Amino acid sequence: MLNQTNRHVPLNALLILIVGALTVGPVLMLVIGSFSEGIGAMGQFTLDKYISAYGNPTLPTTLSNTIIFTLGTALFSTILGALLAYLSVRTDIPLKGLFAFLPIVPMMIPHVLFSSAWITLLNPTNGMFNVMIRNLFGLASGPFNIYSLGGMIFLEGMLDLPVTYLVMAPAMVSFDTKLEEAARVSGASNYHTLRTVTLPVLRPALLATFTLAIIRSLASFAVPRMVGVPGRIYVLTTHIYRMISIGWSPDYGQAAAIGIIVLAVAIVLVYLYRHLISESSQYVTVTGKGFRPTEIKLGRAKYPLFILCLVFFALLVVIPVATLIYMSFLPYTMVPSARAFSMMGLSNWQAVTGNPIILRALKNSAFLAIVGSTIAIGLSLFIAYVIVKVKSKASSFLESLTFLSFSFPGMIIGVGFMWFLVKTPIYATIWGLLVAYVGTYLPYGVRPLRSAFMQIDEELEESARVFGASFLRSLKDIVVPLIAPGVISAWVLTACMFIRELSVSVVLSRPGTEVLTVEIMKLADDGRWGQVAALGLIMAGLSTALVLGANLLSRPLSQSKIKRVKTDTPVNTSALPVP
Amino acid sequence: MQGTISVRNLVKTFVSKDETVTALDNVTLTTPPNRILTLLGPSGCGKTTLLRCIAGLESPDSGEILIGDEVVWSKEKAISLPPERRGLGMVFQSYAIWPHMTVFGNVAYPLQMRKVPKPEVEKQVKKILSLVQLDGYENRPATNLSGGQQQRVALARALVAEPKVILFDEPLSNLDAKLRESTRKELREFLSELAISAIYVTHDQVEALTISDDIAVMRKGIVVERGTPQDIYLRSNNRFVVDFIGRANFLEATIKSYQSANRCTVTSPLGDIICNAPEGLETGTSVTIYTRPESFTVVPPESSPLDNEFEATVTNILFAGEAHEVEFTIGKATVLAKMEFDVPLNKGDKVRLYIDPEWCRVLRPQVLNPQEEV
Repeated sequence: MLNQTNRHVPLNALLILIVGALTVGPVLMLVIGSFSEGIGAMGQFTLDKYISAYGNPTLPTTLSNTIIFTLGTALFSTILGALLAYLSVRTDIPLKGLFAFLPIVPMMIPHVLFSSAWITLLNPTNGMFNVMIRNLFGLASGPFNIYSLGGMIFLEGMLDLPVTYLVMAPAMVSFDTKLEEAARVSGASNYHTLRTVTLPVLRPALLATFTLAIIRSLASFAVPRMVGVPGRIYVLTTHIYRMISIGWSPDYGQAAAIGIIVLAVAIVLVYLYRHLISESSQYVTVTGKGFRPTEIKLGRAKYPLFILCLVFFALLVVIPVATLIYMSFLPYTMVPSARAFSMMGLSNWQAVTGNPIILRALKNSAFLAIVGSTIAIGLSLFIAYVIVKVKSKASSFLESLTFLSFSFPGMIIGVGFMWFLVKTPIYATIWGLLVAYVGTYLPYGVRPLRSAFMQIDEELEESARVFGASFLRSLKDIVVPLIAPGVISAWVLTACMFIRELSVSVVLSRPGTEVLTVEIMKLADDGRWGQVAALGLIMAGLSTALVLGANLLSRPLSQSKIKRVKTDTPVNTSALPVP
Repeated sequence: MQGTISVRNLVKTFVSKDETVTALDNVTLTTPPNRILTLLGPSGCGKTTLLRCIAGLESPDSGEILIGDEVVWSKEKAISLPPERRGLGMVFQSYAIWPHMTVFGNVAYPLQMRKVPKPEVEKQVKKILSLVQLDGYENRPATNLSGGQQQRVALARALVAEPKVILFDEPLSNLDAKLRESTRKELREFLSELAISAIYVTHDQVEALTISDDIAVMRKGIVVERGTPQDIYLRSNNRFVVDFIGRANFLEATIKSYQSANRCTVTSPLGDIICNAPEGLETGTSVTIYTRPESFTVVPPESSPLDNEFEATVTNILFAGEAHEVEFTIGKATVLAKMEFDVPLNKGDKVRLYIDPEWCRVLRPQVLNPQEEV
């Protein structure tokens, strides 16, 4: 084994160098930048940026907004995630299979589009729901205003559902139902059991979920930008955005000074999350040989809960998608009516496809998705292999380095990359964006590949060696065919993520390197909701084409019927970059 | 009666996508008071389902369950008491120790649910913990215990509220072999001392034989035989039970004559052999007889021949740890015997073998209705 470990030393060192440059590099530059006078005067030490950034009179309001927004979102999405995980894993709710899949849908919805759809429905002036309700009850204004903290929490909470669901569902699955049965036999009622056993045992998992949701909403940019900014409600990410985008001189130094603190908070939260997750796994007492877990009979509550869930999924998927399709054919926002339908046409689609800037953005986004995710996954493959197969101090250092960037808000790391790239020839080129994408989203590529490698029993590889294959030969004959399906799905995940990427792009995108999401945001700023919808649907089409293409590509592989997975839980958590 | 559980015509089926499994097929059973009844059978025989139905963790399809004189579940009478109102104690296979509580919290829980006043709770928990030799462990977090200690916490929790009956669901299967053996002995002594009524589920024959006063062997949702451990091991009437509970030599034979009500001579491939037999089988009936490997002894060659002695050839010897497993050929038949190490044997040796009639038994030709046995 020793010589094999030795063989990996140069590879490991090289990977640490690359990953370090991609994750620590921008952070380091962010720190240096925050103490510098400006992009042009880097290295001359000054505290000016801190003084002006923290002396900003709008900062206290921004902070209190941020706290309300993150805690509110985290609470809402944790309750949603826990409830749906409980219903789909533990109870006899109808259509269980569907319920296990639907909470993950928001991962495929670009947040910009989701926000746009709800803005056209709930904005205070001509939101379609608002207009319909006003007509119905004869109201003069209202009743809903999406441009509010409540609106932001409502949207972000739903969009964070995949994260909370994917943490809660495995906790529900691994929950030993015997713990509850023991309470029942000991004389506790259903309600008492829930209160004294179920909830306390799930507490670490619930807290971990809550923490993760805070991390996510702290980093969130699309919803605060689309919904918060028009309502003049700024949170930290949009506060930073305002510094670098509004006015005649973007101040990257101040942005860095604020960003440093947000990063620090995010890193602390990630460590808290990891601690809670390990505590929660200590509570897992499931034994190998289990009786079939008893399904909790919902009884009379079954159908009301089922309908509640259906309503929720309508809010999450059906209504926004229908709204976008409807809007893409209308010249301006109109409540559905005979007149509206008579005015439908293709003008939005023509405007979008006839716009050279948008066509360039489309080309750039497709390039970033295909080339970017190929590079990201190629790099992730090496990293995952080293993390799983080479167990040394250096490889565990590589692992922490890789997952460090998970906690980084894209907005802030984008500012870091700004400083990082400004003196290089790829600054303001599409390659600059590509490097930033790969660095920022590395954990999302490494995590699923790491689980793919872990699922390959060491003995499969070892037996190939015993039967005469060289190290490289065993990689080619055994490892590569076994992880191929995992690689393809990781590639698709990354490519789709790059297409809907907004927060890094909004900092780094320049004329010539436009991307789709930023163009959608600009169209929305101009109130061209019909074009937003049309372009959004084109973007969704691009993602779908990628998924379908990858599926076609991987079909011959999955047909080989390789039984490689020894899944311990029916819920696939590898989409989450944090263990 | 106090401390008994009666199950009448219990049926339970599980419906999954592709098949319907009958876990309990019209089971009727009454447990003896202040004794340990073991439900023994291979996995999937319905023993755990029966236990869970009794606990109230599973709902049967039809039938009736009584604890003492109280009907706790009945389809006809539309009675279904939830588990918490059945007043039972239970030890789970995984122990189901609540990880977020201390040892005290776990053990006190049943008392707290029964609204026992606090000082009394403390007194009782202390008492029961010293009974299971866990004095001083009250404030230990439950996650910080060894397997054996968890097992004892589970037992203490099941006993603390002095339940009418205590249920055991394979409680020793998570312990390693050595610890399992000693715990088995401890548990047996402990339960007989307390004279408590218990139902014990296991698939381990040795565990069932050592721990029980009474064994019900189950197969495919049916109780196929019921009796004391000795009855089940030595005097079974059921081929499945004989086969499941240990190793046996089965031989086809015909009844030749009865010597007394329970003993007869049969003609077998070994020759004529005297066996225990159920009463009243007719001469000429084809039957199966069985002997246990332990029932053979090698007779010194100089002694005069007796009944049940046969000329045998050693065809194979296998070292099996605590003894030799020896394969003998007698006439056309082959039998497996267990021999102490001090019996000098070599492959090819010709010896005389004696089979104790007490250890050799005629199976009743067919068990018409296994439920009637119970």
